[in-house]
Amino acid sequence: MKLPRAQVAVLKTADANEYRTITDVATEADLQPETTTGAAFALAEEGLVTVTEETDESITLTVEGEQYVDEGLPERRLYDAAIAAGADEDPVDLGTLIGEAGLDGDAVDIALANFARKGYGTVDSGEVAADPDADSDADAERVALEAIGEGEDVADALAAVLGDDSQTDAQGVLDQLERRGLVDRAESTIRRVQLTDDAVTALMEGVEAAEEVDQLTPDMLTSGEWRDAEFAEYNVEAEAEEITPGTEHVLRQTANRVKDVLVGMGFQEMQGPHADAQFWINDCLFMPQDHPARTHWDQFALSEPDQIDDLPDDVVERVRKAHLEGVGEDGEGYHSPWELDVAKSLDLRGHTTSLSARYLSGYQEGELDPPERYFSVEKVYRNDTLDPTHLLEFFQIEGWVMAEDLSVRDLMGTFTEFYEQFGIEDIEFKPHYNPYTEPSFELFGTHPETGELVEVGNSGIFRQEMLDPLGVDVDVMAWGLSLERLLMLMYGFEDIRDVHGTLCDLQLLRDVEVVY
Amino acid sequence: MPVVDVDPDELRELTGHDEKSDDDIRADLFDLGIEFEGWSEDDEMQLEFAPDRLDRLSVEGIARSLRYHYGDDRGVYVPSTNSPEWTLVAEQTPEERPYITGAVVRGLDFDEESLESLIRIQEKLHATMGRQRAKGAIGVHDLTMLKGEAGRDGTGKSIRYTAVDPDEETFVPLDSDEEMTPREVTERHHMGSDYADLVADMDRYPAIYDEIGLFSFPPVINGRRTEVSEDSRDLLIEMTGTDQWTIDHMCNILCYSLSARGAQIERVTVEYAENAPGEHAGRTLDRPDFSTETKTVSHERIESIVGVEFDAETVIDCAERSGLDAERTEIGDDELAHEVEIPPYRVDVLHPLDVIDDIGRAYGFNALEPEYPDVSTVGSRHDRSRLEDAARDALVGLGFEDLLNFHMINEEENFERLGIEPDDDVVGGGRPVTIAQPYSEAYTILRTWALPSLMMVLENNTHRAYPQHLAEIGLAAELDESKNTGVAEHRTVGAVLAEAEVSYEDARARLQALAGAFGKGLETPPTEHPAFIPGRTAEVLLNGETVGVIGEVHPEVIVGHDLEVPVAAFELRLDALR
Repeated sequence: MKLPRAQVAVLKTADANEYRTITDVATEADLQPETTTGAAFALAEEGLVTVTEETDESITLTVEGEQYVDEGLPERRLYDAAIAAGADEDPVDLGTLIGEAGLDGDAVDIALANFARKGYGTVDSGEVAADPDADSDADAERVALEAIGEGEDVADALAAVLGDDSQTDAQGVLDQLERRGLVDRAESTIRRVQLTDDAVTALMEGVEAAEEVDQLTPDMLTSGEWRDAEFAEYNVEAEAEEITPGTEHVLRQTANRVKDVLVGMGFQEMQGPHADAQFWINDCLFMPQDHPARTHWDQFALSEPDQIDDLPDDVVERVRKAHLEGVGEDGEGYHSPWELDVAKSLDLRGHTTSLSARYLSGYQEGELDPPERYFSVEKVYRNDTLDPTHLLEFFQIEGWVMAEDLSVRDLMGTFTEFYEQFGIEDIEFKPHYNPYTEPSFELFGTHPETGELVEVGNSGIFRQEMLDPLGVDVDVMAWGLSLERLLMLMYGFEDIRDVHGTLCDLQLLRDVEVVY
Repeated sequence: MPVVDVDPDELRELTGHDEKSDDDIRADLFDLGIEFEGWSEDDEMQLEFAPDRLDRLSVEGIARSLRYHYGDDRGVYVPSTNSPEWTLVAEQTPEERPYITGAVVRGLDFDEESLESLIRIQEKLHATMGRQRAKGAIGVHDLTMLKGEAGRDGTGKSIRYTAVDPDEETFVPLDSDEEMTPREVTERHHMGSDYADLVADMDRYPAIYDEIGLFSFPPVINGRRTEVSEDSRDLLIEMTGTDQWTIDHMCNILCYSLSARGAQIERVTVEYAENAPGEHAGRTLDRPDFSTETKTVSHERIESIVGVEFDAETVIDCAERSGLDAERTEIGDDELAHEVEIPPYRVDVLHPLDVIDDIGRAYGFNALEPEYPDVSTVGSRHDRSRLEDAARDALVGLGFEDLLNFHMINEEENFERLGIEPDDDVVGGGRPVTIAQPYSEAYTILRTWALPSLMMVLENNTHRAYPQHLAEIGLAAELDESKNTGVAEHRTVGAVLAEAEVSYEDARARLQALAGAFGKGLETPPTEHPAFIPGRTAEVLLNGETVGVIGEVHPEVIVGHDLEVPVAAFELRLDALR
């Protein structure tokens, strides 16, 4: 008969006439206890051994428990010192006794608490009176502790010292010691094995160990050696070494999901310059040149380079006129100065609506043929205060639809559809004001996790004062939204700085769960 | 966005709705687009609203909007005004601040609250339309303390707006006992110095005189003589600025508020001398100008924007509930339209579209049923963005952790710490796009390459497990006069391998795989770059063209970033993979 090496060892070590513990067998056969247990159960399945199990409680001393075995329990040391100082007749100053007993730190409190509990005497107004009748030698806790230290049975030791008729039960004493943190109690299963008759027969006929292999090799595969091999068992439950997979950044994943949704809804992607003329960023959006949001408090102006080379003259002239005089018969301008130099100065774009303006200006060149839908998910720059929800650079989702006779209801329908893709439902529309859209709406949605109402975007129908100068004579509705806000809603991040930028935490990025 | 503190009791009194609870008021305000932000320390409601409706900058203005909302008032309201007695003469005014307007207000019965409200609305108007007083500044004076000069015809009373030598005239400013010259006010008066910038470039300073002398130094401070108190019953309001329309409308908003407190508005004559700068020289204006404007709005346009079919009466009703008046008219070939009258306190109605917005709000936008626009288009990604994604996928497949760093950085991080300088003829050595007034010293330029950002991430994550194989595809920019914006922007591909045992070959292997995935032939002839170890640095040539650099990062750079592991890296232009 051929058996794995461990099973052969167990078979040869176990006895036919008595049950031996697995621990004994393992020690004698020079095997790991787990391996021995595994082998024993495998043999039991073959009917070669029988295995019995019983539960045993093992009790061990803690470090503190061992200390008290050596030095005596603190309360007992206090009692002994008290008796020695004559406290059984006249109360003695507590401070003196503590010194005598050599107690310090936590041991003082422990001694006092247990002194009273065990009826060794009383402590009153800083003086100790000892009960002369107390027998500290017969203290059940001391006896039990020492018995455990010696590896003796606690119940036997208690009976020997206190007498068989003692009311003290061993479990109660052990519970008390455990509460005091002096012993650890653990339950363990003790298994024993004994050979069956079949095993005896098999052993007489001869049992050999099969060859065990650690690693399957190409040689073994080609030679066919694997057929006779017995594979060593691995601990398949153990954790393996950590590896860090390559991963796409979570904000890129979110951006791509947004892009997928928008492409699915028929939108084409835009791109364009990050550093751009205020003309495209602000003037085309009918933002007056003295608008507070155009100061350096809101957008980053560039010192180098500081001006765009050239702008389309016809659009510039129409934009200037819209600012100063308005658009249409009843139109009114802004009563703010308008300078070409300001329009030509360069900023880091504060929104990607500058891309929309550039694309819309292509309408008069025949580059757009309504209906059209366009989007971008690109970075914008704002001179805002850095905090957990605000960065100087963030991604803006920008989108617009160009078609005849667009209404507020079309706007609402588009957003309802878009946000539903991200689990954000019941979109509410709050009438709002933007210089370049009218009507304008702030969009609020219900947070899928917390149920809170959160602002999710800003939208509107582009004003005539924006569209006319760009040469657009059909309706265009548009909206903008922060990608980071969507990310925080989807993943529950609390501090966006952990994710985006050079202060990012690699571990946090590694731990992000997949969202699909 | 403007925030106005409003006492709800005052609001109940001014609207005549004692029965409204605080919660009712909050809900009613939300319907108007005015958001309750919280309670102030003085138990006032802090109300925030969009900066178009500047006529709501006062408790009186908000009360007026609520009365329209409740239906207590309908249509345009214009207070009656008395004929002018006072004249504001503008003569040799400063060219930088040529315009003046004003009004006389009589019969006020101030208490602490209403005086406080007057001070607040001035502050709010200064902060918004007045552009911190640069465009328009308000001065309010106790009329009884003024002694008018006789007009040119010997009748009436006048005050004179002119310009003075900043050192020659003196007066006692508000909150002071001392006679000061205008220049001294800008130099050492605690309120005056806040506005010193507004007159700093002027040779002669703006000043307003009555017969007694100088009593106002706009836009900086008023004189103490004419200071308004709870006992003041009659006021003279003057506003100076750089734009007549702006100050006239600031004046209208202020007069409407005072009128709501029961005051009688009396017009003034604004008389520009022949030699006055600006567009009104030689003209006489009657102010405040409470005339209304009209806009003609096509009925069909209202329907197409709101997305609902209306009958004409509904439009007229919605207009009246917005404080407007509307009348049926026709445009073109019998097309139904509405002639809408707009009150003089509205500064936000530039185009008929703004009227449509008012009508939509009165109708109730939230009552509308959303509909998906029934137009079909074909969606697609941009070519560059698809390339970027494909390259990122390849890097992730090679085991890189994809990163996302800021485009803004500073010179030290971008250049010095990598051992290079702007205008060096190496990868990363472009001349940087520079921000005029940066947020902090950490963000002064746009990065010219990605390796510095990746090194910073390594520096900030030395406590995290290695290997750290990081990559980023992102923007890099440098000055380029051949471009329209003067800036060449491109996407760069940066990658670093940081771990105890890593070498040039590990980076080369991955770059090879990346180039291979995009069908590019890779060559790496030796080169020198200060950020890398000499002899272990190479140019990246794809299909024979130099597009980047690869090498083992120089120990000086590694130690400079507080790292204790070697780093191999490469960086190349994304468009080279095209």
